[in-house]
Amino acid sequence: MIDKTVASFDEAVSDIVDGAFLHMGGFASPFNMPSYLIAALARSGARDLTMTTTSASTGPENAKRLASALADVVTWPQDYWEPGLLAQLGQIRKLITSFPTGTGNVVWPFEERLNAGEAEVEVTGQGSLAERIRAARAGIAAFYTPVGPGTVVAAGKEIRDFEGVPHVLEHALHADFALIRAWKADRYGNLVFRGPRTFNETMAGAARVTIAEVDEMVPLGDLAPDRIHTPGVYVQRVVVRPSTPPASWEEPC
Amino acid sequence: MPDTLPGTLPPRLDATVMAMVVVREFFDGAVVNLGIGIPMHCADVIPPDREVLLHSEHGLLGFGPLLRTAEGVDPYCFIVGNRPVQPQPGMVYLSHDESFSIIRGGHIDITVMGGMQVDTEGNLANAHPPGKPAANLGGAQDLATCAKRTMIMMYHTASDGSPKVVERCTFPLTAPRCVDRIVTDVAVMDLEGGHIVLREVAPGWTPEQVQSITGARLVVADDVREISLV
Repeated sequence: MIDKTVASFDEAVSDIVDGAFLHMGGFASPFNMPSYLIAALARSGARDLTMTTTSASTGPENAKRLASALADVVTWPQDYWEPGLLAQLGQIRKLITSFPTGTGNVVWPFEERLNAGEAEVEVTGQGSLAERIRAARAGIAAFYTPVGPGTVVAAGKEIRDFEGVPHVLEHALHADFALIRAWKADRYGNLVFRGPRTFNETMAGAARVTIAEVDEMVPLGDLAPDRIHTPGVYVQRVVVRPSTPPASWEEPC
Repeated sequence: MPDTLPGTLPPRLDATVMAMVVVREFFDGAVVNLGIGIPMHCADVIPPDREVLLHSEHGLLGFGPLLRTAEGVDPYCFIVGNRPVQPQPGMVYLSHDESFSIIRGGHIDITVMGGMQVDTEGNLANAHPPGKPAANLGGAQDLATCAKRTMIMMYHTASDGSPKVVERCTFPLTAPRCVDRIVTDVAVMDLEGGHIVLREVAPGWTPEQVQSITGARLVVADDVREISLV
Protein backbone atom coordinates (compact mmCIF):
# COMPACT_ATOMS: atom_id res chain seq x y z
CA MET A 1 0.00 0.00 0.00
CA ILE A 2 1.25 3.43 -0.91
CA ASP A 3 0.91 6.01 1.86
CA LYS A 4 3.23 9.01 1.82
CA THR A 5 1.61 10.68 4.81
CA VAL A 6 4.00 11.65 7.60
CA ALA A 7 2.55 12.32 11.05
CA SER A 8 4.48 15.45 11.98
CA PHE A 9 6.56 18.21 10.46
CA ASP A 10 9.39 17.43 12.86
CA GLU A 11 9.46 13.85 11.58
CA ALA A 12 9.23 15.01 7.96
CA VAL A 13 12.46 17.04 8.20
CA SER A 14 14.30 14.79 10.67
CA ASP A 15 16.80 13.52 8.08
CA ILE A 16 17.69 16.97 6.72
CA VAL A 17 21.23 17.10 8.05
CA ASP A 18 23.84 19.85 8.28
CA GLY A 19 25.11 20.80 4.84
CA ALA A 20 22.01 19.59 2.97
CA PHE A 21 20.96 21.15 -0.35
CA LEU A 22 17.29 22.24 -0.35
CA HIS A 23 14.78 23.64 -2.80
CA MET A 24 12.48 25.94 -0.87
CA GLY A 25 9.14 26.67 -2.50
CA GLY A 26 6.72 29.54 -2.08
CA PHE A 27 6.73 33.14 -3.15
CA ALA A 28 6.62 35.67 -0.35
CA SER A 29 3.08 34.87 0.70
CA PRO A 30 1.63 33.17 3.78
CA PHE A 31 -0.79 31.46 1.42
CA ASN A 32 1.77 29.50 -0.55
CA MET A 33 4.79 29.24 1.74
CA PRO A 34 5.74 25.87 3.30
CA SER A 35 5.73 27.64 6.65
CA TYR A 36 5.43 24.60 8.90
CA LEU A 37 8.31 22.83 7.17
CA ILE A 38 10.41 25.98 7.63
CA ALA A 39 9.45 26.14 11.31
CA ALA A 40 10.37 22.47 11.73
CA LEU A 41 13.71 23.13 10.07
CA ALA A 42 14.25 26.05 12.44
CA ARG A 43 13.56 23.72 15.38
CA SER A 44 15.82 20.99 14.01
CA GLY A 45 18.73 23.43 13.94
CA ALA A 46 20.22 21.92 10.75
CA ARG A 47 23.04 24.24 9.69
CA ASP A 48 25.22 25.08 6.69
CA LEU A 49 22.24 24.66 4.41
CA THR A 50 22.45 25.51 0.72
CA MET A 51 19.07 26.57 -0.56
CA THR A 52 17.40 27.66 -3.76
CA THR A 53 14.60 30.12 -3.20
CA THR A 54 13.01 32.81 -5.31
CA SER A 55 13.72 35.40 -2.60
CA ALA A 56 15.85 35.43 0.55
CA SER A 57 12.66 36.73 2.21
CA THR A 58 12.07 39.58 4.58
CA GLY A 59 12.53 37.85 7.93
CA PRO A 60 9.99 37.87 10.76
CA GLU A 61 10.31 41.53 11.79
CA ASN A 62 9.94 42.96 8.29
CA ALA A 63 7.09 40.52 7.63
CA LYS A 64 5.23 41.93 10.65
CA ARG A 65 5.63 45.45 9.25
CA LEU A 66 4.38 44.33 5.83
CA ALA A 67 1.41 42.58 7.40
CA SER A 68 0.37 45.68 9.31
CA ALA A 69 0.83 47.87 6.21
CA LEU A 70 -1.60 45.59 4.36
CA ALA A 71 -3.98 45.09 7.29
CA ASP A 72 -6.81 47.02 5.65
CA VAL A 73 -6.68 44.78 2.59
CA VAL A 74 -5.78 41.27 3.70
CA THR A 75 -5.31 39.48 7.02
CA TRP A 76 -2.14 37.46 7.26
CA PRO A 77 -2.32 34.27 9.29
CA GLN A 78 -0.16 33.98 12.42
CA ASP A 79 1.48 30.80 11.17
CA TYR A 80 3.65 32.45 8.53
CA TRP A 81 7.34 31.57 8.62
CA GLU A 82 9.63 32.05 5.65
CA PRO A 83 13.30 31.47 4.73
CA GLY A 84 14.27 34.76 6.40
CA LEU A 85 13.73 32.99 9.75
CA LEU A 86 16.35 30.40 8.83
CA ALA A 87 18.75 33.17 7.77
CA GLN A 88 18.14 34.98 11.04
CA LEU A 89 18.96 31.80 12.96
CA GLY A 90 22.21 31.43 11.01
CA GLN A 91 21.26 28.13 9.37
CA ILE A 92 21.89 29.15 5.75
CA ARG A 93 25.39 28.99 4.32
CA LYS A 94 24.49 29.71 0.70
CA LEU A 95 21.48 30.85 -1.25
CA ILE A 96 20.92 30.45 -4.96
CA THR A 97 18.28 33.09 -5.50
CA SER A 98 16.92 35.86 -7.72
CA PHE A 99 16.24 38.30 -4.88
CA PRO A 100 18.81 38.28 -2.05
CA THR A 101 18.29 41.68 -0.41
CA GLY A 102 15.68 44.13 0.83
CA THR A 103 14.85 47.15 -1.27
CA GLY A 104 15.60 50.74 -0.34
CA ASN A 105 16.75 51.02 3.26
CA VAL A 106 15.19 47.72 4.30
CA VAL A 107 17.79 45.13 5.30
CA TRP A 108 16.85 41.47 5.42
CA PRO A 109 18.41 38.87 7.78
CA PHE A 110 20.18 37.08 4.91
CA GLU A 111 21.61 40.39 3.76
CA GLU A 112 23.02 40.96 7.25
CA ARG A 113 24.71 37.56 7.02
CA LEU A 114 26.10 38.46 3.60
CA ASN A 115 27.43 41.78 4.85
CA ALA A 116 29.05 40.01 7.79
CA GLY A 117 30.73 37.49 5.46
CA GLU A 118 28.85 34.63 7.12
CA ALA A 119 26.93 33.50 4.04
CA GLU A 120 27.32 33.47 0.29
CA VAL A 121 24.97 34.00 -2.60
CA GLU A 122 24.69 32.93 -6.21
CA VAL A 123 22.40 35.44 -7.89
CA THR A 124 20.44 34.07 -10.82
CA GLY A 125 17.56 35.39 -12.83
CA GLN A 126 14.23 33.95 -11.75
CA GLY A 127 13.56 32.28 -15.09
CA SER A 128 16.92 30.54 -15.20
CA LEU A 129 16.44 29.45 -11.59
CA ALA A 130 13.03 27.99 -12.45
CA GLU A 131 14.30 26.21 -15.56
CA ARG A 132 17.40 24.86 -13.78
CA ILE A 133 15.09 23.27 -11.22
CA ARG A 134 12.58 22.05 -13.81
CA ALA A 135 15.48 20.56 -15.78
CA ALA A 136 16.57 18.57 -12.74
CA ARG A 137 13.10 17.10 -12.41
CA ALA A 138 13.03 16.29 -16.12
CA GLY A 139 16.49 14.70 -16.25
CA ILE A 140 18.06 17.46 -18.37
CA ALA A 141 21.69 18.10 -17.37
CA ALA A 142 21.99 21.62 -18.77
CA PHE A 143 20.42 23.96 -21.30
CA TYR A 144 21.19 27.10 -23.29
CA THR A 145 19.15 30.22 -22.57
CA PRO A 146 19.33 33.68 -24.18
CA VAL A 147 18.93 35.26 -20.74
CA GLY A 148 22.15 36.33 -19.02
CA PRO A 149 24.87 36.94 -21.64
CA GLY A 150 26.46 40.36 -21.14
CA THR A 151 25.70 40.37 -17.40
CA VAL A 152 27.31 39.07 -14.23
CA VAL A 153 25.26 35.87 -14.20
CA ALA A 154 27.08 34.61 -17.31
CA ALA A 155 30.56 35.12 -15.83
CA GLY A 156 32.63 31.96 -16.25
CA LYS A 157 29.88 30.10 -18.11
CA GLU A 158 29.93 28.77 -21.67
CA ILE A 159 28.41 31.13 -24.24
CA ARG A 160 27.20 29.79 -27.59
CA ASP A 161 25.45 31.51 -30.47
CA PHE A 162 22.21 30.12 -31.87
CA GLU A 163 20.96 31.93 -34.98
CA GLY A 164 23.21 34.84 -34.09
CA VAL A 165 21.91 35.21 -30.54
CA PRO A 166 24.28 34.51 -27.64
CA HIS A 167 23.04 31.92 -25.17
CA VAL A 168 24.52 30.89 -21.84
CA LEU A 169 24.80 27.29 -20.66
CA GLU A 170 22.95 26.82 -17.37
CA HIS A 171 23.17 23.61 -15.36
CA ALA A 172 20.34 21.76 -13.65
CA LEU A 173 19.94 22.06 -9.88
CA HIS A 174 19.08 18.76 -8.24
CA ALA A 175 18.62 19.02 -4.47
CA ASP A 176 18.62 16.61 -1.58
CA PHE A 177 15.19 17.83 -0.46
CA ALA A 178 12.43 19.98 -1.95
CA LEU A 179 10.11 21.65 0.58
CA ILE A 180 6.86 22.75 -1.03
CA ARG A 181 3.33 23.85 -0.19
CA ALA A 182 0.16 22.60 -1.85
CA TRP A 183 -3.55 22.75 -1.16
CA LYS A 184 -4.84 19.19 -1.34
CA ALA A 185 -3.13 15.81 -1.48
CA ASP A 186 -4.07 12.14 -1.48
CA ARG A 187 -2.03 9.33 0.01
CA TYR A 188 -0.24 8.74 -3.31
CA GLY A 189 1.18 12.26 -3.01
CA ASN A 190 -0.84 13.61 -5.92
CA LEU A 191 -1.12 17.36 -5.42
CA VAL A 192 -3.50 20.17 -6.27
CA PHE A 193 -2.47 23.79 -5.72
CA ARG A 194 -4.47 26.91 -5.08
CA GLY A 195 -3.45 30.28 -6.48
CA PRO A 196 -0.18 30.91 -8.31
CA ARG A 197 1.75 27.63 -8.14
CA THR A 198 5.11 29.43 -8.05
CA PHE A 199 8.17 27.30 -7.32
CA ASN A 200 6.00 24.84 -5.38
CA GLU A 201 5.00 23.00 -8.53
CA THR A 202 8.36 23.60 -10.25
CA MET A 203 10.41 22.08 -7.43
CA ALA A 204 8.34 18.91 -6.93
CA GLY A 205 10.47 16.02 -8.17
CA ALA A 206 13.68 18.05 -8.50
CA ALA A 207 15.13 16.48 -5.37
CA ARG A 208 15.86 13.07 -3.91
CA VAL A 209 13.03 13.69 -1.42
CA THR A 210 10.14 16.08 -2.05
CA ILE A 211 8.12 16.99 1.06
CA ALA A 212 4.71 18.59 0.53
CA GLU A 213 3.00 20.63 3.25
CA VAL A 214 -0.73 20.64 2.47
CA ASP A 215 -3.89 22.22 3.82
CA GLU A 216 -6.00 19.12 3.36
CA MET A 217 -5.67 15.39 2.86
CA VAL A 218 -8.41 13.79 0.76
CA PRO A 219 -9.29 10.13 0.14
CA LEU A 220 -7.67 8.47 -2.84
CA GLY A 221 -9.91 9.06 -5.85
CA ASP A 222 -11.25 12.41 -4.70
CA LEU A 223 -8.82 14.33 -6.89
CA ALA A 224 -9.99 14.17 -10.49
CA PRO A 225 -7.21 12.72 -12.70
CA ASP A 226 -7.45 15.61 -15.16
CA ARG A 227 -7.24 18.21 -12.37
CA ILE A 228 -4.09 16.98 -10.60
CA HIS A 229 -1.21 19.44 -10.98
CA THR A 230 1.64 17.31 -9.63
CA PRO A 231 1.66 13.52 -9.93
CA GLY A 232 2.53 11.68 -6.75
CA VAL A 233 5.61 10.09 -8.28
CA TYR A 234 7.38 13.42 -7.72
CA VAL A 235 6.44 13.47 -4.03
CA GLN A 236 7.85 11.29 -1.24
CA ARG A 237 6.25 12.79 1.88
CA VAL A 238 3.03 14.65 2.65
CA VAL A 239 2.31 16.46 5.94
CA VAL A 240 -0.99 18.15 6.79
CA ARG A 241 -1.07 21.60 8.38
CA PRO A 242 -2.74 21.78 11.80
CA SER A 243 -6.16 23.39 11.98
CA THR A 244 -5.14 25.41 15.05
CA PRO A 245 -1.86 27.31 14.70
CA PRO A 246 0.70 26.95 17.49
CA ALA A 247 1.69 29.99 19.54
CA SER A 248 5.12 30.21 17.93
CA TRP A 249 7.42 28.39 15.52
CA GLU A 250 9.25 26.90 18.50
CA GLU A 251 6.35 24.63 19.43
CA PRO A 252 6.83 21.02 18.22
CA CYS A 253 4.38 20.22 15.45
CA MET B 1 1.03 83.03 -18.11
CA PRO B 2 4.11 84.25 -16.22
CA ASP B 3 7.50 83.94 -17.83
CA THR B 4 9.48 80.94 -16.68
CA LEU B 5 12.32 82.01 -14.43
CA PRO B 6 15.79 81.28 -15.80
CA GLY B 7 17.00 77.95 -14.43
CA THR B 8 13.60 76.75 -13.31
CA LEU B 9 11.93 73.92 -15.15
CA PRO B 10 8.26 73.29 -15.88
CA PRO B 11 6.26 70.88 -13.73
CA ARG B 12 6.73 67.16 -14.29
CA LEU B 13 4.12 64.51 -14.96
CA ASP B 14 2.89 62.42 -12.04
CA ALA B 15 2.96 58.63 -12.04
CA THR B 16 -0.67 58.28 -13.11
CA VAL B 17 -0.15 60.44 -16.18
CA MET B 18 3.10 58.60 -16.96
CA ALA B 19 1.07 55.38 -16.77
CA MET B 20 -1.51 56.83 -19.17
CA VAL B 21 1.34 57.53 -21.61
CA VAL B 22 2.59 53.96 -21.30
CA VAL B 23 -0.81 52.29 -21.73
CA ARG B 24 -1.38 54.06 -25.05
CA GLU B 25 0.58 51.08 -26.41
CA PHE B 26 -1.46 48.37 -24.69
CA PHE B 27 -3.45 47.11 -27.65
CA ASP B 28 -6.57 44.97 -27.37
CA GLY B 29 -5.37 41.45 -26.57
CA ALA B 30 -1.87 42.47 -25.50
CA VAL B 31 -0.02 40.30 -22.96
CA VAL B 32 1.75 42.70 -20.61
CA ASN B 33 4.04 42.31 -17.62
CA LEU B 34 4.18 45.24 -15.18
CA GLY B 35 7.14 45.58 -12.83
CA ILE B 36 6.52 46.30 -9.20
CA GLY B 37 6.60 49.94 -8.13
CA ILE B 38 5.80 52.73 -10.54
CA PRO B 39 4.77 50.51 -13.51
CA MET B 40 1.91 49.04 -11.44
CA HIS B 41 0.12 52.38 -11.91
CA CYS B 42 -0.57 51.18 -15.46
CA ALA B 43 -3.01 48.54 -14.15
CA ASP B 44 -5.29 51.33 -12.92
CA VAL B 45 -5.53 53.21 -16.20
CA ILE B 46 -5.92 50.54 -18.88
CA PRO B 47 -8.69 51.77 -21.19
CA PRO B 48 -11.84 49.70 -20.54
CA ASP B 49 -12.39 49.09 -24.25
CA ARG B 50 -9.28 46.88 -24.40
CA GLU B 51 -8.78 43.41 -22.95
CA VAL B 52 -5.17 43.36 -21.75
CA LEU B 53 -3.77 40.24 -20.07
CA LEU B 54 -1.50 41.18 -17.18
CA HIS B 55 1.21 38.64 -16.38
CA SER B 56 3.11 38.23 -13.12
CA GLU B 57 6.24 36.09 -12.84
CA HIS B 58 5.16 33.84 -9.97
CA GLY B 59 2.35 32.36 -12.03
CA LEU B 60 -0.53 34.71 -12.67
CA LEU B 61 -1.95 35.68 -16.05
CA GLY B 62 -4.98 37.87 -16.66
CA PHE B 63 -5.43 39.61 -13.30
CA GLY B 64 -6.98 43.00 -12.54
CA PRO B 65 -5.85 46.09 -10.63
CA LEU B 66 -4.33 46.19 -7.16
CA LEU B 67 -6.94 46.04 -4.42
CA ARG B 68 -6.70 48.76 -1.81
CA THR B 69 -9.56 47.64 0.46
CA ALA B 70 -10.61 44.22 1.74
CA GLU B 71 -13.62 44.09 -0.58
CA GLY B 72 -13.35 41.33 -3.16
CA VAL B 73 -9.99 40.08 -1.90
CA ASP B 74 -8.99 36.48 -2.60
CA PRO B 75 -5.81 36.12 -0.50
CA TYR B 76 -4.52 33.50 -2.96
CA CYS B 77 -4.66 36.02 -5.81
CA PHE B 78 -1.74 38.35 -5.18
CA ILE B 79 1.31 39.79 -6.83
CA VAL B 80 4.81 40.28 -5.49
CA GLY B 81 4.91 42.15 -2.21
CA ASN B 82 1.84 40.16 -1.22
CA ARG B 83 -0.50 42.74 -2.61
CA PRO B 84 -3.88 41.26 -3.50
CA VAL B 85 -5.11 41.95 -7.01
CA GLN B 86 -8.56 41.69 -8.52
CA PRO B 87 -9.28 38.19 -9.87
CA GLN B 88 -10.68 38.39 -13.42
CA PRO B 89 -12.66 35.99 -15.60
CA GLY B 90 -10.27 34.04 -17.81
CA MET B 91 -7.41 34.35 -15.34
CA VAL B 92 -4.88 31.50 -15.20
CA TYR B 93 -2.59 30.32 -12.39
CA LEU B 94 0.77 28.86 -13.42
CA SER B 95 3.96 27.41 -12.01
CA HIS B 96 7.17 29.41 -12.09
CA ASP B 97 8.65 27.32 -14.89
CA GLU B 98 5.52 27.69 -17.03
CA SER B 99 5.37 31.40 -16.29
CA PHE B 100 8.94 31.83 -17.52
CA SER B 101 8.28 29.66 -20.56
CA ILE B 102 5.74 32.33 -21.42
CA ILE B 103 8.41 35.00 -20.94
CA ARG B 104 11.41 33.26 -22.48
CA GLY B 105 9.33 31.86 -25.30
CA GLY B 106 8.50 35.37 -26.48
CA HIS B 107 4.80 35.34 -25.55
CA ILE B 108 4.92 38.65 -23.65
CA ASP B 109 4.07 41.55 -25.94
CA ILE B 110 5.13 44.39 -23.67
CA THR B 111 7.13 44.48 -20.45
CA VAL B 112 7.11 47.69 -18.42
CA MET B 113 9.72 48.06 -15.70
CA GLY B 114 11.45 50.67 -13.63
CA GLY B 115 15.01 51.74 -14.31
CA MET B 116 18.05 53.07 -12.49
CA GLN B 117 20.03 53.73 -15.67
CA VAL B 118 19.40 53.33 -19.39
CA ASP B 119 22.13 54.15 -21.89
CA THR B 120 22.41 54.93 -25.59
CA GLU B 121 22.89 51.24 -26.48
CA GLY B 122 19.62 50.39 -24.77
CA ASN B 123 21.47 48.73 -21.91
CA LEU B 124 19.45 48.55 -18.72
CA ALA B 125 20.57 48.70 -15.09
CA ASN B 126 17.81 48.36 -12.52
CA ALA B 127 18.74 45.53 -10.16
CA HIS B 128 21.81 46.39 -8.11
CA PRO B 129 21.69 49.68 -6.18
CA PRO B 130 24.98 50.98 -4.76
CA GLY B 131 25.57 49.80 -1.21
CA LYS B 132 23.74 46.51 -1.60
CA PRO B 133 25.84 43.32 -1.47
CA ALA B 134 24.12 41.62 -4.43
CA ALA B 135 21.67 42.25 -7.27
CA ASN B 136 17.93 41.67 -7.02
CA LEU B 137 17.42 40.37 -10.54
CA GLY B 138 13.96 38.94 -9.98
CA GLY B 139 12.46 38.23 -13.39
CA ALA B 140 13.73 41.47 -14.95
CA GLN B 141 16.53 39.84 -16.89
CA ASP B 142 14.23 37.32 -18.55
CA LEU B 143 11.57 39.94 -19.28
CA ALA B 144 13.92 42.59 -20.67
CA THR B 145 15.69 40.04 -22.86
CA CYS B 146 12.70 38.13 -24.19
CA ALA B 147 9.61 40.36 -24.28
CA LYS B 148 8.72 41.63 -27.73
CA ARG B 149 8.87 45.21 -26.43
CA THR B 150 10.68 46.54 -23.36
CA MET B 151 9.46 49.86 -21.98
CA ILE B 152 11.18 51.60 -19.09
CA MET B 153 8.93 53.76 -16.95
CA MET B 154 10.94 55.91 -14.56
CA TYR B 155 11.54 59.38 -13.23
CA HIS B 156 13.90 61.22 -15.53
CA THR B 157 16.40 61.90 -12.74
CA ALA B 158 17.32 60.11 -9.51
CA SER B 159 16.27 61.48 -6.13
CA ASP B 160 19.66 63.24 -5.85
CA GLY B 161 19.05 64.88 -9.23
CA SER B 162 21.58 62.78 -11.14
CA PRO B 163 20.58 61.67 -14.64
CA LYS B 164 19.21 58.17 -15.22
CA VAL B 165 19.37 58.41 -19.01
CA VAL B 166 23.13 58.19 -19.57
CA GLU B 167 25.82 57.62 -22.23
CA ARG B 168 27.01 54.40 -20.55
CA CYS B 169 25.51 52.57 -17.60
CA THR B 170 27.85 52.59 -14.62
CA PHE B 171 25.74 50.22 -12.52
CA PRO B 172 25.81 46.45 -13.26
CA LEU B 173 23.59 45.57 -16.21
CA THR B 174 20.31 43.74 -15.81
CA ALA B 175 20.31 43.03 -19.54
CA PRO B 176 22.22 44.44 -22.51
CA ARG B 177 20.63 46.15 -25.54
CA CYS B 178 17.07 45.45 -24.51
CA VAL B 179 15.26 48.78 -24.11
CA ASP B 180 12.88 49.94 -26.85
CA ARG B 181 11.25 52.98 -25.24
CA ILE B 182 11.69 55.14 -22.13
CA VAL B 183 8.74 56.99 -20.64
CA THR B 184 9.70 59.49 -17.93
CA ASP B 185 8.01 62.34 -16.11
CA VAL B 186 9.31 64.75 -18.76
CA ALA B 187 9.74 62.84 -22.03
CA VAL B 188 9.15 59.86 -24.27
CA MET B 189 12.32 58.50 -25.89
CA ASP B 190 13.02 55.62 -28.28
CA LEU B 191 16.22 53.60 -28.61
CA GLU B 192 17.20 53.47 -32.26
CA GLY B 193 20.52 52.34 -33.71
CA GLY B 194 22.66 53.42 -30.79
CA HIS B 195 20.84 56.71 -30.31
CA ILE B 196 18.23 57.96 -27.89
CA VAL B 197 15.59 59.72 -29.95
CA LEU B 198 13.45 62.31 -28.17
CA ARG B 199 9.91 61.85 -29.48
CA GLU B 200 7.69 63.69 -27.03
CA VAL B 201 8.11 66.22 -24.25
CA ALA B 202 5.87 66.94 -21.27
CA PRO B 203 3.61 70.00 -21.60
CA GLY B 204 5.64 73.17 -21.16
CA TRP B 205 8.99 71.47 -21.70
CA THR B 206 11.35 72.22 -24.58
CA PRO B 207 13.74 69.62 -25.99
CA GLU B 208 16.59 71.77 -24.67
CA GLN B 209 15.20 71.63 -21.15
CA VAL B 210 14.89 67.84 -21.35
CA GLN B 211 18.45 67.65 -22.65
CA SER B 212 19.67 69.79 -19.74
CA ILE B 213 18.73 67.09 -17.20
CA THR B 214 19.81 64.12 -19.36
CA GLY B 215 23.20 62.41 -19.14
CA ALA B 216 23.33 61.36 -22.79
CA ARG B 217 23.06 63.31 -26.02
CA LEU B 218 19.49 63.15 -27.29
CA VAL B 219 18.62 63.07 -30.97
CA VAL B 220 15.55 65.30 -31.29
CA ALA B 221 13.01 63.75 -33.65
CA ASP B 222 12.00 65.94 -36.59
CA ASP B 223 8.40 65.66 -35.50
CA VAL B 224 9.01 66.00 -31.75
CA ARG B 225 5.75 67.00 -30.08
CA GLU B 226 4.04 67.55 -26.79
CA ILE B 227 2.93 64.37 -24.98
CA SER B 228 -0.75 63.68 -25.50
CA LEU B 229 -2.77 60.89 -23.97
CA VAL B 230 -4.44 59.65 -27.14
